[in-house]
Amino acid sequence: MVEQVATLPSSREFNPWPVVVFTCLLVLAGLFLAPTIGVILSSIKTTREIAEGGLWNIPTRLFLGNFVEVLANPAVHRYFLNTLLVTLPATAASIALGVLAGYVFAKLPFWGSNLIFLVLISGMFFPPQVILIPLFQFFNSLGLIDTLWPIIFIHTALGIPICTLLMRNFFATVPNSLREAAILEGANEFQVLTRVALPLSLPALAVLATLQFTWIWNDFLWPLIFTQSDEKRTIMVGIVNLKGQYSVAWGVQGALSLVASLPTLIVFLFFQRYFIKGMTMGAVKG
Amino acid sequence: MANLILKNVSKTFGETEVIKAVNLEVSNGEFVVFVGPSGCGKSTLLRLITGLEEVTDGQIIIEDKDVTHLKPSKREVAMVFQSYALFPHLTVAENIGFGLKLAKVPKAEIVARVKEVASVLRVESLLARKPRQLSGGQRQRVAIGRSIIRQPKVFLFDEPLSNLDAALRVVMRIEITRLHQNLQATMIYVTHDQTEAMTLADRIVVLNEGRIEQVGAPLELYEKPANKFVAGFIGSPAMNFIKGTFETADERMFARLGPHVMEINKPDLKPGLAIEVGIRPEHIAIVAPEEGTLTAEVEIIEKLGVESMLYLKTEASQDLLTVRTDPRQTIRTGERLGLKLPVSECHFFDQKGNLV
Repeated sequence: MVEQVATLPSSREFNPWPVVVFTCLLVLAGLFLAPTIGVILSSIKTTREIAEGGLWNIPTRLFLGNFVEVLANPAVHRYFLNTLLVTLPATAASIALGVLAGYVFAKLPFWGSNLIFLVLISGMFFPPQVILIPLFQFFNSLGLIDTLWPIIFIHTALGIPICTLLMRNFFATVPNSLREAAILEGANEFQVLTRVALPLSLPALAVLATLQFTWIWNDFLWPLIFTQSDEKRTIMVGIVNLKGQYSVAWGVQGALSLVASLPTLIVFLFFQRYFIKGMTMGAVKG
Repeated sequence: MANLILKNVSKTFGETEVIKAVNLEVSNGEFVVFVGPSGCGKSTLLRLITGLEEVTDGQIIIEDKDVTHLKPSKREVAMVFQSYALFPHLTVAENIGFGLKLAKVPKAEIVARVKEVASVLRVESLLARKPRQLSGGQRQRVAIGRSIIRQPKVFLFDEPLSNLDAALRVVMRIEITRLHQNLQATMIYVTHDQTEAMTLADRIVVLNEGRIEQVGAPLELYEKPANKFVAGFIGSPAMNFIKGTFETADERMFARLGPHVMEINKPDLKPGLAIEVGIRPEHIAIVAPEEGTLTAEVEIIEKLGVESMLYLKTEASQDLLTVRTDPRQTIRTGERLGLKLPVSECHFFDQKGNLV
């Protein structure tokens, strides 16, 4: 045994691939983390420190003034409220519509339903720039410019394809016999959905809630186009606005960026346990 | 509980006719088993009765009421699925009480009735568990519980035991029989297992390619099969079939089986007609080689304890003949035997498989 161990290094050739892969991953991780680190660093420095030492200097002391300034700013409160007023209804509405459509496509197919499904899914491939001007004209004619309504409607509509796709695929894994058993027990189709299919689809709902919430919360384009006054801006546009109000206030902007990303983090952490539950569901045979 | 009548029921999926004008009357409290090979339409027929599938043509009547176009929930039938179809996110109690809850029965009553049903099926101790925490047999009991709690007019079982192991299947079979005796309910049971059919049924309906081949009590089907299909399907091991021709000589009638002949009495047959002789494994008698109708060589012996199965090579047939014997008989592989086929136990079929 001892001899064998002693000869091991020579008998086993050095494999460089894990080292190469690991190095690449490390470099990539560094690249991806760099902006976040930059933002964190600038958020805890005074404007003077940033001006003197640049963005990347490690500060000598922790300065929380930027956060205080951001959190005390009534405009920021308004941004947060506006973003919530857009994100919550649009997330809920797109998921609700996706659930209904997905259930029909998965469990109640009709002649041509597959084609309709494809058409619906193809909506995912439209770049927003293509529909930007027509949508602006449309909402303008309705007199809804500089309100939150267009953003809610657009995010709901843009969310339908992905919500429908995911829910359809998840509902397809719910055995048909469960639906039939419920129907024989006297359930109507809506009750089958709400009492059988949906409770079994919590993991899919958690994924969608996280996805839609993050996507709508972080959106910059649509609020920029459809809102003009500061009272109607959402948080992502608000971050940019801070720049105009306080010269180039890197520290304040960095602080607001961090604060603004907290809700998405919280949503993810909240729904994370359902992801895990979904992954282990049915893994153990009883 | 109620009677059930199927009148000329047919069902087509696209171009394929899977149920072909089925007529059947099931009387009140009867236990009827649909049996047949895979794809014979037995499950489809069951689904037509539930209303999960719409009939293409014909009428379904439950307790003198035409339910052909009624919704499944309005037909007052209950079904136990092969996969149990328990709701995984609900507890046993919630599963059993699911239908009552939908019907907005008061909570206290649901609890009381769930308890009652659970005690009948001996699952009281499991009421708080989820289906995944149950064994196969327990899941099956819960599925049955869910079906009996609403006191439906007709119970339907779709191969309920096929996911259970052999020992448990025997136990559950006895439980279902007991349940039927207690409830005195009209029950329709689908299976491809003919042992289940024989042991459970008041009457068996043999289905093949969407048609009813024969309806009758288990022993009636066993002893007087109407055609070769039923003869071959009912009984395990299956009936032996030997191809031959019908011949006459000196006003006597014979069946020629390869090099052998056996005297029979079928005055209405034409000489030269191709026939097939069917005989069950237990009806073939073993005699000395020179005394038998056929001679045979033992190829395989299966010792089952209570009996032994001999698989014999003969000149009369290309297939091996099966003979059921006493296990104490000393017979060796390779031994030559004579076989006697008592005419009274033989079934004669024409080339289309009809009894002659």
